[in-house]
Amino acid sequence: MVQIQSMTFGYGKGPLFEGLDLKLEPGTVFGLLGLNGAGKTSLLKLLAGALRPQSGSIRVFGAEPWRREAFFLADTSFVPEDPWLPAVKPSVWLERYAVFRPAFDKERFVSLSREFALDEGKLLTKYSYGQRKKFALAAALASGARLVLLDEPTNGLDIPSKSQFRRALAAAVDADRVVVVSTHQVRDLERVIDPAVIVHGGKILFSLASDQISEKLGSVQVRDLGPGVIYAEKDGVGYSALVARSGLDGGRDDAQTADLELLFNAAIASPSRLAAALRGESLPPLDPSEAASRERNVEEVAK
Amino acid sequence: MTKETLAHPFSASRVSLLMRNRAFEDLPSLAIGVGILAGLNLLSILIGGRAFMNDSTGQSWTFVMSLAGIVLAASAFRGMHDGRSGTDWILLPATSLEKYAAALISYLIIFPLVSMVAATGLSALLSLVELIAGGPGGRIWNPLRAVGLSGWADYAICALIFAVGSASFRKRALIKTLGLMTAYVLVVSGILFAAILLVRKLQGLPIPDIAINNGDIKIDGDLAIGGQPALNTILNIVRYALMPIFALVYGFFRVAEKEARDEVQ
Repeated sequence: MVQIQSMTFGYGKGPLFEGLDLKLEPGTVFGLLGLNGAGKTSLLKLLAGALRPQSGSIRVFGAEPWRREAFFLADTSFVPEDPWLPAVKPSVWLERYAVFRPAFDKERFVSLSREFALDEGKLLTKYSYGQRKKFALAAALASGARLVLLDEPTNGLDIPSKSQFRRALAAAVDADRVVVVSTHQVRDLERVIDPAVIVHGGKILFSLASDQISEKLGSVQVRDLGPGVIYAEKDGVGYSALVARSGLDGGRDDAQTADLELLFNAAIASPSRLAAALRGESLPPLDPSEAASRERNVEEVAK
Repeated sequence: MTKETLAHPFSASRVSLLMRNRAFEDLPSLAIGVGILAGLNLLSILIGGRAFMNDSTGQSWTFVMSLAGIVLAASAFRGMHDGRSGTDWILLPATSLEKYAAALISYLIIFPLVSMVAATGLSALLSLVELIAGGPGGRIWNPLRAVGLSGWADYAICALIFAVGSASFRKRALIKTLGLMTAYVLVVSGILFAAILLVRKLQGLPIPDIAINNGDIKIDGDLAIGGQPALNTILNIVRYALMPIFALVYGFFRVAEKEARDEVQ
């Protein structure tokens, strides 16, 4: 289990996180969503032990990550957004670096490498960005680590690789493992991540499980803003809206599965409306001027 | 490496794996260096009939080996500071102590031993080429005669300081450490010199005349004081014990407390 308690961390220009609390149970893929600069990468590095919190505590399966004990490091795998790889071939990489991880599954790694169509005869430094990403993801998923941290894993992947990665990620989930994925590309992973953890303003704004989302929230395409609308984005034909589902006060029965990107935008732009909807409270009608549009993006609405 | 060794805070097998990886990483640049050295000596045999490294004192080999070791030590922790490779370096499953120990053992002990064997072999080979080319030959570098224990100790202290410099400075560690060492020597020399003058004055001994001409410092008179042997002992304690211990501990904390840089990776 991963537990963060009253954690404060910053880079010198004021804290990035202040009094952050978060609990991650094994057996799920946590989607870490947030605007640029919200601290998603820093949070992953704090969990990995690459950064040290200024106060509060982080515990990962009982260990304090910043102490960087060998058993903890071998039990954690972090894939950065732009992974660095040494100037060796994959077979040499296995001999020199994977050897530090006794639980590393070579067969799984080879099978994932083949699935990702990685060139085994090429130096890793000659790989393209997407290939480096796929190599690092294969290494992380085969690492045997109980904490797997993936920073923007689908960035740079081609379309077939994205679905291969989703399959590999789903297969890597087991009852002992915590997988945390930070992503901007919510649509790439919306069927894999559960729960979605939204980071904003140094806090966890929402932690929404998929059953909670599907029970209480939905998406509709409407011409006019009617009752039950939590958040809406104006488009060419009307509005894409996140709404409360039927059964809730003012809820709608025509809503489809909630669009995760819309949900994320709603969490950032209208956190109080979303929180009220999740509590089952009725919402005052949304004024068309409050809807986001091409001219007013979600960050402006949030202000 | 087994799951059981992961529980140990210090594992010799992890240290040896780290040292092996370092050796593989350093090998290409060392091979280039040896190639250049051999090429220059062959040229010297062609032009003058002698390998210039096989001089009568044998100091050239000692100097080149020490320089190579210090240059390697000065980049021992370069990967740790890099924006992209740094996180990988920090998160490689081995403790900070193991990573630190692997670097120091590599450059303070293994490199001098291996390079002495290699230098002896190369020196013998060049001597043979000299003979074949009609030169005198016969001069083979003898590490046992050229490098004593105190010679190794001096090298090891120097390499340690440059390795610690590499753990401290993100860029241009060699130059910065050299600058820092020069400043340190100047400050310590100044303090010692002032102390000697003060002690002589307190003892009623004559103060030597100090003149600076065109940047040269000329001291006219005696600098000896009653406690000179004690002073030498103090200097040796500082040089061979206090300074290395301080550098050792300071460098470890630089490595142990290193954090990933704040940038997108």
